[in-house]
Amino acid sequence: MNFLLIAALIAQVETAPPPPAAPREPQLPKPAEKTLSNGLRVIVVQKRGVPIVATRLLIKTGAEADPPNLAGLADMTASLLTKGTKTRNAVQIARGVEALGAALESGAAWDNSFVTLNVMSSNLPKALGFVSDIVRNPVFANDEIERLRAQNLDALQVAMHEPRALVKFIAARVVFGDTPYGHNLGGTPESLRRIRRADIVAFHRAHYHPNNAVLVFGGDIAPERAFALAETELGSWKSGGQRPSAARTAESAVLHHRVVVIDMPEAGQAAVVVTRPGLRRVDPSYFIAQVTNSILGGGYSSRLNEEIRIKRGLSYGAGSSFELRREVGPFIASAQTKNESAAEVASLMVEEMNKLGKEPVADVELGPRKAVLIGSFGRSLETSESLVSRVAFLALYGLGLDEITRYISSIQSVTAPQVENFAAGHFSDSSIVIVGDAKKFIDALRQRFQDVEVIPINELDLNSPTLRKK
Amino acid sequence: MNAFVAVFLAATVSVTPIQYRQRTLPNGLQMYAVEDHSAPTVAIQVWYHVGSKDDPPGRSGFAHLFEHMMFKSTAHMKSEMMDRLTEDVGGYNNASTADDVTWYYEEVPSNYLQTLLWAEADRMGSLNVDEANFNSEREVVKEEFRTSVLGNPYGLFYYAITKDSFTTHPYNRPTIGSIEDLDASTLADVQKFHATYYRPDNATLVVAGDFDPKQLDAWVDRYFGAVPKPDAPIPRISVNEPPREEAKKITETGPNVPLPAVALTWLGPAASSADRYALDVAASILAQGESSQLYQSLVYRQQIAQDVSADDDLREDLGLNVITATVASEKSPDVVIKAIEAELKNLEEKPVSAAELAKAKNQLITDRLRRRETNDGKAFSIAYAATVLHDASEVNNGFTKLQAVTAADVKRVVDKYIKNQKSLTITYVSR
Repeated sequence: MNFLLIAALIAQVETAPPPPAAPREPQLPKPAEKTLSNGLRVIVVQKRGVPIVATRLLIKTGAEADPPNLAGLADMTASLLTKGTKTRNAVQIARGVEALGAALESGAAWDNSFVTLNVMSSNLPKALGFVSDIVRNPVFANDEIERLRAQNLDALQVAMHEPRALVKFIAARVVFGDTPYGHNLGGTPESLRRIRRADIVAFHRAHYHPNNAVLVFGGDIAPERAFALAETELGSWKSGGQRPSAARTAESAVLHHRVVVIDMPEAGQAAVVVTRPGLRRVDPSYFIAQVTNSILGGGYSSRLNEEIRIKRGLSYGAGSSFELRREVGPFIASAQTKNESAAEVASLMVEEMNKLGKEPVADVELGPRKAVLIGSFGRSLETSESLVSRVAFLALYGLGLDEITRYISSIQSVTAPQVENFAAGHFSDSSIVIVGDAKKFIDALRQRFQDVEVIPINELDLNSPTLRKK
Repeated sequence: MNAFVAVFLAATVSVTPIQYRQRTLPNGLQMYAVEDHSAPTVAIQVWYHVGSKDDPPGRSGFAHLFEHMMFKSTAHMKSEMMDRLTEDVGGYNNASTADDVTWYYEEVPSNYLQTLLWAEADRMGSLNVDEANFNSEREVVKEEFRTSVLGNPYGLFYYAITKDSFTTHPYNRPTIGSIEDLDASTLADVQKFHATYYRPDNATLVVAGDFDPKQLDAWVDRYFGAVPKPDAPIPRISVNEPPREEAKKITETGPNVPLPAVALTWLGPAASSADRYALDVAASILAQGESSQLYQSLVYRQQIAQDVSADDDLREDLGLNVITATVASEKSPDVVIKAIEAELKNLEEKPVSAAELAKAKNQLITDRLRRRETNDGKAFSIAYAATVLHDASEVNNGFTKLQAVTAADVKRVVDKYIKNQKSLTITYVSR
């Protein structure tokens, strides 16, 4: 009784949140690195505590190198690595890796192909042997190629029935046309059928070399031990001839303003995207872009989510991001909403993007949006896998690994005028793509935007920049 | 060779237990604390022992809708203030609703621990949602329904698995509910639900990360200790799901289904059952990874399925063992179902090998270890054990129990829960 009485008294006065205590500085990891004699760059970030190690082997060539009619080649090549080597077939690889409790994955992304491993530290030496074997000695057996082709075609068929997946494929074509980032990296139904074993073997031969690769270890492993393991497993991997050129024509960044609707009458919800070219990962405006996006669409309280979800209840979530690549990658704002409100959501996105380039951001908003980035950066160093991924991408784009130690101060130094200028230069003339039941929003959309193109789903051609079957 | 590998691997896995401390406050609140000073952050989770099985009659989806309201105003916080106290200072917050529990979680720089303890206690003590907030957030939840159920070609498939697998227990109501029931909910329902279930003696607080234990205890006493324990008892669901009398096969449909899918379900034990670890191992042997039995047969050798999964989805009152597969194009769902049944028969008749057993254990142990890399993961593991398993020590003992599972245990649980139970088979096709 006494206890309750006192408690009630305290409760009466505690009507405001207690202020924070003094902050503690985070300990930032310091990567160690070494380049093996064959040119393989090895980077290690040790992190004690849990007996887990993550590794990522990056080949610095990915889906951007797909020939125009062979979309999906880089991804098929990488995915087939785990399906058989000179000494082990697919079943033996799966069984051997899984017996170690390890997760081994391979695939292609933009600008890179990858093999990732996540394993208990005691099983790392054995598991790394599999990484080495699959990247150096894959056989690309015909039956495995056919099996994967069938699976990829089915997966693509599923994705093309899903508005949120399909809208991304369309957005890439709208922004990049028929330039290297324009196709779906998993391919199209037509291109997947065209890929031959010889194409795959040639892709592997051209790009999978230690001097076109980076190997990153993170977690419960000392640098010297990791270097020694890398030397044992990958030291005898032979260097390739010429490193493929990373150069690309500038046409990929040409602005094409379009408003495209893919009419999918059975869609239970519409997927809405506003998109345009963004910037390169190595652009000096990288940190300004990060802060700008954090205000616009990065995180729960960003403006897009505030306007679309919190204020109007139009979506479960709205957000945006700059996809950062070697060349200019896309900016994408996206949300899913009931078909009836698709046009309103597209308008709100465009309005918020424009507003950011016209009015300075107040400090009360700027400070918290920077904190969002700094906090999320800190959390990305928590797990071995995300730590490895962050370091690997710095290496992929030739950025200094010390960006990790400079990240917080670089974000903090971004100013409101920088954000306003950046937004004014990077959000105009964006394209709009909507996948949904067009009859429920097409009139409203035409009232708000000009030159709306409507493409019925059965007339869609992902291979063509026009997106229409001939 | 295989036997050697198994012995070698089993011997190398030694797991350091999570060191946690437990307290019970006079008002019934359970508290667990795990110190870790490696980063200046702290994870805070508050788990309420109420979930979608407690949705009021005619209000399916209410526990989840209510969860959204907990981010609106309280006596001392305006709407979205939780975001100001977390996101704005470099943290994050969110919440999830399941059948048995609803949990609220945040991770913040550790100097904000006191602030967040105050805030969590504040919304436990009172909720003050207005009509406008309620209506707008209900629209958000309806969009969530559209995203998860209608916007995904397999949304209605998973919806059907829940709905069709239980005849009587409220587990047959999908957590997301229905548009009609969401529309029927009122602001009065919100206040009643808070008063009924959001109370200290129905809550578990877990704090993991960078804090001073004495200071933590003092703040917890000060803020959570001030929330009174109501006199009324907490209502509990006491519905028994009757055993199935016969095996059934049904067809469900959805619009726009690119490839058919199939599901086989059997009623399973409660999550706290001693059989859970053997069931985990059985599910792993069946479908975890590309060397698993079902993947090898259906996806790899026969190429009749695009993917396959096996899950012992055990909940507080009873569980569901579920196998699902997406049928490959131009293949028949019936062929996939027969192939699953053949693999199950094989598992019933043939003892699992030492190598397969060791492989499954290594996969499951590594999965558990990965969750320990973050404060949030550690807090989740403890809170789940304390609430759904009714025993926090399972967070550590689970490793030992998992390692102790034998081939005979796997055979016993497969017989008990698959072979000797009636299956429900669902075929999902385009409308």
